Amino acid sequence: MSSTSHNSNPRIASRLTASSAEETLQLIARLPAPEGLEDRVKTGLKTAPRAGRILHWPASLRPTASWVRGAAAAAVVFVVAGGGWGIYMRVQPTQPARVLVMPHAGGGFSSAGAMRTPQTLNGPILAQPLNTQMDAAETAKAQPVQITPLMKVPAKVVPMTRPGSNAVAGNKSSAQPAVSIAK
Amino acid sequence: MSTSQAIYAGWMEIPNSAENDLARTHADEAAIAALVTQYAGALYRVAYSVLRNQSDAEDAVQEAFLRVLRHRDTLDEVRDQRVWLVRIVWNIVLDRKRRAKTRPETDDVTELARVLPSGGLSAEQIASAAQHHAHVLACVEKLPSKEREVLQLSAFEELSSVEIAQVLGITESSVRSRLFRARNLMADLLNHARALK
Repeated sequence: MSSTSHNSNPRIASRLTASSAEETLQLIARLPAPEGLEDRVKTGLKTAPRAGRILHWPASLRPTASWVRGAAAAAVVFVVAGGGWGIYMRVQPTQPARVLVMPHAGGGFSSAGAMRTPQTLNGPILAQPLNTQMDAAETAKAQPVQITPLMKVPAKVVPMTRPGSNAVAGNKSSAQPAVSIAK
Repeated sequence: MSTSQAIYAGWMEIPNSAENDLARTHADEAAIAALVTQYAGALYRVAYSVLRNQSDAEDAVQEAFLRVLRHRDTLDEVRDQRVWLVRIVWNIVLDRKRRAKTRPETDDVTELARVLPSGGLSAEQIASAAQHHAHVLACVEKLPSKEREVLQLSAFEELSSVEIAQVLGITESSVRSRLFRARNLMADLLNHARALK
């Protein structure tokens, strides 16, 4: 087959192209292995860590006699039974939790007329007004301004009133006790 | 011997396993050493055909035999040890190639010229042949994985289509159809590249 016929028939040409490609792969597949590969692999296998090892009895203590086996079995039974007994003796059965029964007054729930009053916290209150302080600062530098610590003003309990009643004014007066004291 | 005595004797029977285990270990090691002697070269070539790197291929062979050593208990159950070993090394090689996918795949022309046989060729001819081989290998890499795998394994003369099917875990007819497709694709790729030139 000539080279012109290769080119004229595309099917044959493509087949030849593919076969030439396979030749390359076959060349690579036929390449010899490097020297000493087997030895290296064997050495690697010898030095490889083993998955697990079984510890054997020493030859002198090897349990061949029947009495040794019996003694070993008895020792196993003794250890297991002793361990179970020890656990049984140490562990105390849990006692039921004590329940304190609170004495019940009357029966049913009631507030017994008690009203909760919230403890409001008011800001610091100056003993003297600010403008008088400024005048006094020049004359009496030695005298420090006395500031009283927090004064607790008990909150007033406002009774529930209907809207439109006079309770608003009363509320205002009770809400600003600090200002009135400062004035 | 009464029944209870017999049961007791059976329960408490401790086989003299130390010598047996030792002997068995030695036998397994000897069997693996024989496998290494027999198949290390073939496995290396299988690994090299995919990885195209000497040290990587050697590592793959080493790992394959380490796996054999780990599963030496099942060595007796293996029917065809050659195919079994090729399958092990094939899986290792594919796994390694998959992991090294991020690295650029280069087929070094000078390395190919050094490695491939050049019987009586001049330096210029060796260089052009190496270029051709590198081009072919680049086209092989462009093939779909299924077709490429069959094509690469079919290059090994010692593997029949049945054995290739066993290695890949497919039927023989699938091997044939994939090989057919691979050849056609290769021809198209090479012709396309030639037309571009």
